[in-house]
Amino acid sequence: MPIETKIFIIAGLVALAAIIGLIWKARTGKSKRISGGELIDLAEIGAIKNGQPVTKFGERVTFLQFSSEMCAQCKQTARLFHELEEHTPDVLHIEVDITNRLDLANKFNILQTPTTLVLDHNGRITSRIGGAAKPETIQDELGSFHI
Amino acid sequence: MSESNSAPKGIDPRGPRFGAVITSVLLLITVFLGLDPATADAAFILLAVITASFAWGATQGTAKHPYGLLFKKFVRPRLAAPKELEDPRPPKFAQVVGFIVAGIGLVLGAFDNTVGLTIFASMAFFAAFLNAAFNYCLGCQIYIGLKRIGVIKND
Repeated sequence: MPIETKIFIIAGLVALAAIIGLIWKARTGKSKRISGGELIDLAEIGAIKNGQPVTKFGERVTFLQFSSEMCAQCKQTARLFHELEEHTPDVLHIEVDITNRLDLANKFNILQTPTTLVLDHNGRITSRIGGAAKPETIQDELGSFHI
Repeated sequence: MSESNSAPKGIDPRGPRFGAVITSVLLLITVFLGLDPATADAAFILLAVITASFAWGATQGTAKHPYGLLFKKFVRPRLAAPKELEDPRPPKFAQVVGFIVAGIGLVLGAFDNTVGLTIFASMAFFAAFLNAAFNYCLGCQIYIGLKRIGVIKND
C-alpha cells in the first residue's frame, strides 16, 4: 500500500471520529418534548431526598434525574440542578440511581445516564433530556413552566 | 439525595483524559502499521502493549496507571485545581471495555488476521479519541444498556 493511501486512511479515521464527536456533542443534553406523557409514581421510583422519601412534586417543575454508578457526568448534572433548586423556588430535583433498578431502566427505556425527565406539578412527563443537561436546556425548560 | 452509595475517593477528571490522549495516539499508530503487511508484526506488538496497558487500568484504576502517575507528576502541578473530583469507577469501566476490544484485535492478530486487528484497533481508537477530545464517557453511554440486555449482571 502506498504511503499516500495510508496517510489518507489515517486522516480519514481522525476526521470521521471528530465528526462523530461534534454531532454527539451538539445533540447530547438537549430536551425532547413528550406529548401525552405518563404520570410518575413517586413511591414506585423510590425517590429519596435528604434521607426522606419524596411525596410531593415541585410546585412549578420537577427534574427527575436517572443516574448510574459508571456515570462520570451524572455528578455534574446533579450539581447544575442543585444550584437551580437553591436559587429558584418551587423547583424540585430528584436523583435516582438505576444501577440496580433495571425495572425503571426498562420502563422508561433508559439507555444512557444521566437521563432527566421533566415533570409538571402533577408529575406528568413533559420532556426528556438525554445526556448531561446543558445549562441553556435547563433554563428553557424552566421558562416553559409559569407560576 | 440518593447519590450513588459508597462512592470511592474522587480523582482529577483530567487524569483519565490525559491517558486517553496517549492511548488514542498509540492506537492510531497501530492502525497505520496494520495497513501494511510488512509492518503487521509491529502493529501486533504495539497492540499487545496497549492491551496490557488497558488491563492495568481495568484492574488498578486509571489513577494508579503509569499514565495517571505521569499526569500527577508532570501535568497536574501545571494546572489549576479541578472544579470537582470524579468517581474513579467510570474511567475504570472504560478501561475494561478498551481491554476487551483491543484484546479481540490482538487475538485476531495472533491468527494472522491483520485486517481484524486493524478494525478492532480502529474501534478502540474511536472510543479513546472521543474521550480525549470530547469528554465522551463510555460508562454513561453503554453501561445501563449492557445491564439491560444482561451482558453485565447485578452484583
